Amino acid sequence: MVSVRSSHRSEELPDKPVVVIERAKFWVGLNLRELWSYRELLYFLIWRDVKVRYKQTLLGASWAVIQPLVTMIVFTYFFGKLARVPTDGVPYPVFFYTGLLVWTYFSNALINGANSLVGNANLITKVYFPRLIIPSAAVLSGLLDFAIASLLLAGLLIYYGFPVTVQYLMFLPLVALATALALGFGIWLSALNVRYRDVRYALSFLVQIWMFVSPIIYPSSVVPEEWRWLMVLNPMTGIVEGFRASLFSKPIQWPALGYSAMFTVVLLLYSAYAFRRMEKHFAELI
Amino acid sequence: MRPIIKVENLSKQFRIQPANRPAVRYDTLRESLVEAVRSPLRRARTKGKPGDDRIWALKDVSFEVMPGEVMGVIGANGAGKSTLLSVLSRIIEPTAGRAELFGRVACLLEVGTGFHPDLSGRENIYLNGAVLGMKRREIEEHFDEIVAFAEVEKFIDTAVKRYSSGMYVRLAFAVAAHLNPEILLVDEVLAVGDASFQRKCLGKMDEVTQNGRTILLVTHNLSVIPKLCERAIFLRQGQVGFCGPAQEALDCYITAGDGSPADG
Repeated sequence: MVSVRSSHRSEELPDKPVVVIERAKFWVGLNLRELWSYRELLYFLIWRDVKVRYKQTLLGASWAVIQPLVTMIVFTYFFGKLARVPTDGVPYPVFFYTGLLVWTYFSNALINGANSLVGNANLITKVYFPRLIIPSAAVLSGLLDFAIASLLLAGLLIYYGFPVTVQYLMFLPLVALATALALGFGIWLSALNVRYRDVRYALSFLVQIWMFVSPIIYPSSVVPEEWRWLMVLNPMTGIVEGFRASLFSKPIQWPALGYSAMFTVVLLLYSAYAFRRMEKHFAELI
Repeated sequence: MRPIIKVENLSKQFRIQPANRPAVRYDTLRESLVEAVRSPLRRARTKGKPGDDRIWALKDVSFEVMPGEVMGVIGANGAGKSTLLSVLSRIIEPTAGRAELFGRVACLLEVGTGFHPDLSGRENIYLNGAVLGMKRREIEEHFDEIVAFAEVEKFIDTAVKRYSSGMYVRLAFAVAAHLNPEILLVDEVLAVGDASFQRKCLGKMDEVTQNGRTILLVTHNLSVIPKLCERAIFLRQGQVGFCGPAQEALDCYITAGDGSPADG
């Protein structure tokens, strides 16, 4: 208690209340300024998620590589060598690994985000802070795993002799887009999950289906031309194909990618508002 | 002198389950769908009379707290004490009424909120501090004090799941005790640790109040009320039964006899 300011006498009280508590109006703002003022808490929660995950596991960070690597090997054998899935001339390992890297990151971020509020019930019932921080931290904490697993991708690209092109610059914006999409779904589903615990069970199943309708184990070029638009309705199609095109020096499908970006922005805005509307009941429902 | 906490007609309504309905916690979609179909029917049957499954946990609560004052909140179980603190901490939203707080608020509804068993004492100090609203710089400044107060120097890099329960609550209280807001909302957290640590906690509370901090203190430990508080609020079924000098509030509570004040 050394640095106690003596600003407690009434003449030094602020004229306007620092906090006003009353029933929220129907329309709630996003209150981004308040969110910004809690950025340190966001950092600490991300840090906690990462630390705990690496401490609780024997292999720690290597799991980030093992999961997509082993899946890649299995896929290369079954879908590549046996089923001979066409890959637009890209070697199987690097083709599958790219798709799996993006998908593993996205699906883990989404699932962790959706389960985050329920998993942090003790915080929600005991302390106030903008609740949006919880799903955001859960989604963002997957970035480290993604970065580690990306190192192996870099190795594969070098091994197979892919040239470094200016299209590599698309890598970071694409990561940001995948993150924003996971955030959009994660925020919305986490709020829904507080009310309906069905979300948890439905999600693991839906994510699996979603992977099969996304171009992870096949390129979208195997889909007949007249059905391609249906494929592109899935926002992950544009993102995954975007990653592949930018890394394998192929032309980027801008319309599909543009659609994914627009979908993400709309979803993120909707989710954030829906979340803010639901968040006042979290402490009572959870 | 102007009040630092101003509460006007604060009310909070909760839904409870009436006896004629199965216990539904709106946990699954199926229940919610069933409920959506049933409730208009039921409303028609009860002739639209609302409120039969609602209770007021707080009803028209008004009071003011002056800067530097320590205000006790007492009352039987279910009188609305914890609800009051939750509303003032912005954890739950009031149904009606208004409260104005003229300072930075920290709430301590339990000690060790956000502690993670697998993290070390050091890591938990940072995490818990951040959760309670401390800046990283503040935590760094107070770090050694916190460790010394908790008496866990030797175990600071051990995971807290290996701590004895005494060490655990001491560390948790130590972080909380080094919060530095203008207004502190405290719920029952003095009841931690052994007798000597409790004395230390009380001493710390005393020190905090000497520094002019405003505290709203909910407790069942009636013996601390006259020691720490000048005034107290006696809550009775969600309403203010009495608000004034601490001793009178205590007498009010004891003579009201709608709870068991014997645990003090």
